[in-house]
Amino acid sequence: MTDDELIEKIRKDLAGQALEVLHPDRRRIFLKVAPEALVSAVRLLRDAYGFTHLSTISGVDKGETFEILYHLATTDTTVHVRTEIPKSHPHVESITPIIPGAILYERELQDMFGLSIDHIPDPRPLVLPDGWPAGNYPLRKDWKFERPEEIIPGGKS
Amino acid sequence: MKFQIPIGPQHPALKEPISLRMTVEGEIIRDADIRLGYNHRGVEKLAEERNWTQNIYLTERICGICSHSHTTCYVQGVEKLMELAPPRRGLYIRYLVGELERVHSHLLWLGVAGHEAGFDSFFMYVWRDREIVMDLLEMISGNRVHYAINAIGGVRRDIDDALTAKILEGIATLKKRSEYYLQLGANEPSFVARLAGVGKLPKERAIALCAVGPTTRASGVAIDVRKDDPYAVYDELDFKVATADTCDVLGRVVVRVLEVFESYKMIEQMLHSLPDGPVAVKAPRKAKPNEVVSRYEAPRGENIHYIKSNGSDKPERLKVRAPTLGNYPATVEMLKNGFIADIPLIFAAIDPCICCAERAVTLVNARNGEESITSFGDLRRRALAGHHNAPLKGNAVWPF
Repeated sequence: MTDDELIEKIRKDLAGQALEVLHPDRRRIFLKVAPEALVSAVRLLRDAYGFTHLSTISGVDKGETFEILYHLATTDTTVHVRTEIPKSHPHVESITPIIPGAILYERELQDMFGLSIDHIPDPRPLVLPDGWPAGNYPLRKDWKFERPEEIIPGGKS
Repeated sequence: MKFQIPIGPQHPALKEPISLRMTVEGEIIRDADIRLGYNHRGVEKLAEERNWTQNIYLTERICGICSHSHTTCYVQGVEKLMELAPPRRGLYIRYLVGELERVHSHLLWLGVAGHEAGFDSFFMYVWRDREIVMDLLEMISGNRVHYAINAIGGVRRDIDDALTAKILEGIATLKKRSEYYLQLGANEPSFVARLAGVGKLPKERAIALCAVGPTTRASGVAIDVRKDDPYAVYDELDFKVATADTCDVLGRVVVRVLEVFESYKMIEQMLHSLPDGPVAVKAPRKAKPNEVVSRYEAPRGENIHYIKSNGSDKPERLKVRAPTLGNYPATVEMLKNGFIADIPLIFAAIDPCICCAERAVTLVNARNGEESITSFGDLRRRALAGHHNAPLKGNAVWPF
C-alpha cells in the first residue's frame, strides 16, 4: 500500500476524527486527532493497518498546550499521530493497553512534562530521581535549570 | 517464598546505569522491574539551548559506542529541515563510517557474549579482529570513538585512493577471520548449548513490546530501518536483513554474525562505487519552522530523533530515543522464568552498553533473608560452575 492509498483510507475510516493529515515526505504521515479520539485512532491503525510498532512518544511544550506525538511504524511507512491537550487540564488516555511497549515512553512523558496519563498500568516515576521536588517538570519551556552554588568543604582558598 | 534482588544501579563510567529489581523464587526469576534515570543528563533540555552545529557534538556524546548513529540521525534530520542536499560522495563516506561502526559494535558484542558464556578465547579472537576496524575508523576520521566526521551538509573529511585500498584490505582480512565465527557452532557445541533456550522472547511478545534491532530480528521479526525506511544510500545497496527464529540468546548471536557479513558486503559496495565530487556543502545558520522525524538503524536497533525548528539557530525540541530504551520492556520479558545465573548473559544479549562492566549484585537468601553482595564477575563464575557438566541440550542447533 502506498502512502497516498493509506492516507485515503485513514481519511475515510476516521471521518470527522482526523483533524489534519499531512504528508511532508515519503513514508512520513502526520495525523492529527482530538485527545478523545486518540485511543480509537491508535487501535484502528494497529488492527486495520498493522501499525504494531511504536517507535516512541514525544512531547512538545507549546505554551498554552502540550503537543504529543505517537510515532508508529510498519515495515512500509510511518504514521505520527498528533494530539494537543491544554496545559490547564493535562490529561490523556493511556495507549499501553493497546500497545504494551508504550509503557516506558508514557512514564517518561509524565516525568518530563507533568501531564497525567489516565489509566496507565504503572504510574511510578521512571527517569527523575526519588527526591525530585514536586511540580518540577524539566521539559516545560518555563522550567530553567539553576545550578546550585558549589559548596567546598573548608571554603575556597 | 518470593524475595527481591536489586541489581545495580550505580556505575559512573556508563551512559545508562540501570537498577533491576528481580523477584526470585529460589534460583528462578519470577518478575523483574526496571528503574532508570541514574545518569539522566538532560540532553534534550540542553539541546534547546545549543545551536544546530553545537548539537552535532552534543548528540555524539549520547553514546560511546554508537556515537556516529546519533549524529547521523540528527544531521540527516537537520538537513531535511534546512532543505539541504549533501553531495553523493559525502553521503557515501558518512554511511561507510556507519557500517564500519556497526562492524566494530557487533564484534565488541560478540566478544562480550563469548566472555559471559565462559568462552574467553572467542572473546580474545573477536577483540583482536575488532582492532582492525578500529584502526580503519581512526585512519578515516582521526578518532577511535567519537569520530566527529558528520557535518550539516556532508562530512568533514575526504578519503583518498590509498585509504580506500587500506579499507578494502582490512575488510578482506576481517572477512577471512569472520569465517571462523560461522564455523563456531560446528566446532564448539558447548557454546551453542550454553546459549540455546536462554532469554526466550517469543515473536508475538517482541512485536507487542516494540523491541528493536537484532533483539527483534532474533525473534523472527524482519524489521530493519535500512530496508523498511531506506535513508540516503541504502536503497542503492544490495543487502539482506538477517533473522533467526530461535527467539533466544543463540539467535541473537547468529543474527549479529550474519549482520557483520552484510556490513562487509555493503562497505565493499560503497567503496567500489564511491562517487566523485565534494564531500560537503555549506549549511545555513538557521532553519525555517518545521518538524522532521529521522530514523536510523543503529547497531542496537532503530534510533529515532524528532526535531522541531522555530526559525532560529536553535532547535525548539529535540527528542531522542536510543534503541536500548526500546528494548527494556522486552528484557523484562526475557528475564522472567530464567535463572539468576543467566542474568549477565540475557542482559548482555540486548547489548545495553552497561554489560561489559563489573556490577555489584545483592543476593538475598530465600531461606533466612540474609543479604550478600556479589560482583558480576563472581556471578559469572557461579554460572560457569553450574553449567560445567551440564548435558548438551538436544534441541540446540547451530544453523550453519
